[in-house]
Amino acid sequence: MAHDGQALVLQTRGLRKRFGGVQAVNGVDLAVPPGDLRAIIGPNGAGKTTLFNLITGDLAHDTGHIYFGGEEVSGLPPHRLCRRGMGRTFQITSIFRRLTALENVQTAFLSHHRRHFNILVPARRLYRDQALALLERVGLREQAGKPSGILAHGDQRRLELAIALAGTPRLLLLDEPTAGMAPQERHEIMALVARIAGDTGLTVVFTEHDMDVVFAVARRITVMHQGAVLAEGPPADVRANTDVQRVYLGQPVPR
Amino acid sequence: MSWITNGPLITVQVMSGLSVGMLLFLVSVGMSLIFGVTRIVNLAHGCFYMVGAYLMVTLVEIFPDQPWAFWLALLLAPLGVAILGGVIEMGLLRLIYHRDPLMQLILTFGLILVIGTLVLLAWGPDNKSVSRPDALAGSVKIFGQPFPSYYVLVLALAPMVAVALWLVFYRTRWGMLVRAATVDREMLGALGVNVAALYTQVFMFGSWLAGFGGALAAPTVAVALGMDGDVLTTAFVVVVIGGLGSFAGSFIGALLVGLLQSFGILVFPAISIVLLFALMAVVLIVRPWGLLGRPEP
Amino acid sequence: MSPARWLGFLIVVLAVAPLVLPPFFLQLLTEIAIVGLFATAFNLLMGFGGMVSFGHAAYFALGAYTAALLVKRAGVPLLLALPASPIVAAAGALLFGFFIVRLSHTYFAMLSLAFAQIVFTVIFKWKALTGGDDGLLDVWPPSMLKSPAAYYYFTLAIVGLSILALRAIVDSPFGYALKAVRENPRRARYIGIDVRRHQLAAFVISGAFSGLAGGLFAFYNGSVFPDFAYFTKSFEPLVVALLGGVQSFYGPLAGAFGFKILEWLVSRQWPVYWPLFLGSIVVVVIVLLPSGFVGLVGGRVWRTTAKP
Repeated sequence: MAHDGQALVLQTRGLRKRFGGVQAVNGVDLAVPPGDLRAIIGPNGAGKTTLFNLITGDLAHDTGHIYFGGEEVSGLPPHRLCRRGMGRTFQITSIFRRLTALENVQTAFLSHHRRHFNILVPARRLYRDQALALLERVGLREQAGKPSGILAHGDQRRLELAIALAGTPRLLLLDEPTAGMAPQERHEIMALVARIAGDTGLTVVFTEHDMDVVFAVARRITVMHQGAVLAEGPPADVRANTDVQRVYLGQPVPR
Repeated sequence: MSWITNGPLITVQVMSGLSVGMLLFLVSVGMSLIFGVTRIVNLAHGCFYMVGAYLMVTLVEIFPDQPWAFWLALLLAPLGVAILGGVIEMGLLRLIYHRDPLMQLILTFGLILVIGTLVLLAWGPDNKSVSRPDALAGSVKIFGQPFPSYYVLVLALAPMVAVALWLVFYRTRWGMLVRAATVDREMLGALGVNVAALYTQVFMFGSWLAGFGGALAAPTVAVALGMDGDVLTTAFVVVVIGGLGSFAGSFIGALLVGLLQSFGILVFPAISIVLLFALMAVVLIVRPWGLLGRPEP
Repeated sequence: MSPARWLGFLIVVLAVAPLVLPPFFLQLLTEIAIVGLFATAFNLLMGFGGMVSFGHAAYFALGAYTAALLVKRAGVPLLLALPASPIVAAAGALLFGFFIVRLSHTYFAMLSLAFAQIVFTVIFKWKALTGGDDGLLDVWPPSMLKSPAAYYYFTLAIVGLSILALRAIVDSPFGYALKAVRENPRRARYIGIDVRRHQLAAFVISGAFSGLAGGLFAFYNGSVFPDFAYFTKSFEPLVVALLGGVQSFYGPLAGAFGFKILEWLVSRQWPVYWPLFLGSIVVVVIVLLPSGFVGLVGGRVWRTTAKP
């Protein structure tokens, strides 16, 4: 298994996390190859967000291993993981509200290029073009000068995506990227993600509740239930899996 | 460092460290209690200690020649401080409970200036002192070493006070309400408890404790402006070490600090405060929320 | 008038002042400049960094005493002693800040207060070095700078340069990252920023410029005392910044002007009452204003995730 790890962007082995009396993540093995568009689905409480938090270093896992790009990264804090190429968005939009959309992205570029301790030059012009280009890519060019806190919910989500992309990550973790959006917008934003991923070779792992979106975008699906992986595979296989049907619908779907 | 093998001297230092620690405990547990229930760190808490000491100065002089004058003053001074606390809580703090914690801190910070000036105006800028009651003015011999009798009083009172506090918090209904409030205030309100009144009572009790500490300490220190700053800092060190909101934490922290100050004077005469800083630094690195505290309030 | 015109106007007024104003007002302006620097340095931390220090007097006092000690005990000339102020203050900020930034909000405030009190106590008790309660006297600038007008120009030059430097810092990549940390520390982590390190750096910069203000004040005042490290001094930059507006860079300078005028007016009549007045005003304003002071309208300085 260790040799397989060289080719995988993200791998977890036997990941476990307990909160008080609840085993939130119960022995999760995950293997995400480069270029994958992986959806992690499961009922509420299945442990999806906890799994994300373990992978990104927000939480310390009890047992298990996490490999990023073939290297063990257990215990690294988020800012280190980010520097190694891991980007993330959050369930509740996490941006710099009182900064403009442009400044949000510029700051991400500044940090990525390790210039965030520079006190000698004005930052206003730095990475301005790249930031505007990225905002254009996510459809926010016109909103560049607005304080990000006043943007519409969907636009804030796009901004968060841009912020995460500024660091040219190898792996992008999106925690419920379409939460709070209308169906039309959900498809738009995930299509955008898929397009960007296709263009840049980025690997994406996302959690999602909207099955239409999942089946439209995902290359592989991992189904979680009560902290463990219930099923995994291409969308068609997962859809046909009787265990998954039982968990979601209460009974297998007749063929 | 020849004192290291001097058993009697060490015993006496330990005892005096414990007495100082007890006085500190009274102040710290008051602050910790107020925070635990109301979530406000009262930056003016040291002022309550100071007012308690200054009230002793005045009250002791009311009946100058009576042997029981001291004890009456010791009874009344903390009550005076409790009343002050009640006025502050009902008149000011009630209005800002729902506000940003920063605003609350700034307000209590401002109170330091207000109370400090009022004390200056009432008692003047000169240092004051309180004489020990005749019965406790001398010293006793502990293993041949002299030890101030007054500290014996403090040491004797100490476990009594700690036990009394424990009984109040763990064996009375009021204490149970207080403990419940530190865990979940909203729930308490939902159960029909008058939380506003509880807050006032807790604040008054906390100020009473600080005032009692000040009154009890008055015969052992110079009663002066600026004593609020000293005790406040030391109390902060105690709650940082012991954990804000923890009764046992305040107790352990206070005794540790008291002992450290007592021995610090032997090792590092003028600047034992550096040792305090070092201890606090160690705790902050190892356990940022104190030995017995909860992570980030 | 455009901002550039305002600035030009201001510079002319300040330059011409010694020709028009009596020495007393020049001294007042000198003090305003010093407090303005102190408050602007403080606000780097508060308004731009989201960290509220309740013990910033520590760095002011470290700067003041460094300058005074060098001049009095080591015979060092002002031009060498003054640069030492920000350096020693920065060292103090590095030492204290290392512990303080590990905590947030309430503990941050408490600890910053405690550290300032520790500085006060060390100054107070180490009589042999610092003169204790008596302070250090006869800390004067060289004769060239001794007149009110000369020291006024000198202070204005140093403060002016410092303000420019702080402005550059706020507008630099470092400043952008600092604002990001203030807005959303978690998101800052996820773009690769080591939040603690950044906050510590800001703390040190803030401490350094506060120390410089202290050094300037030592020579202005001619003496230094332990209460440069006391509560009342720590309160000053906080009130000044709040008065002038913490979300704006130049706010604290305006606040310094208003604050010092107010202090002059109150202290000349009733010197003892000034702390009472100051404390009461702050208490009353906090109670009465629903959104706090002027500068805080439009956003909380602190994000609090604690249960109310």
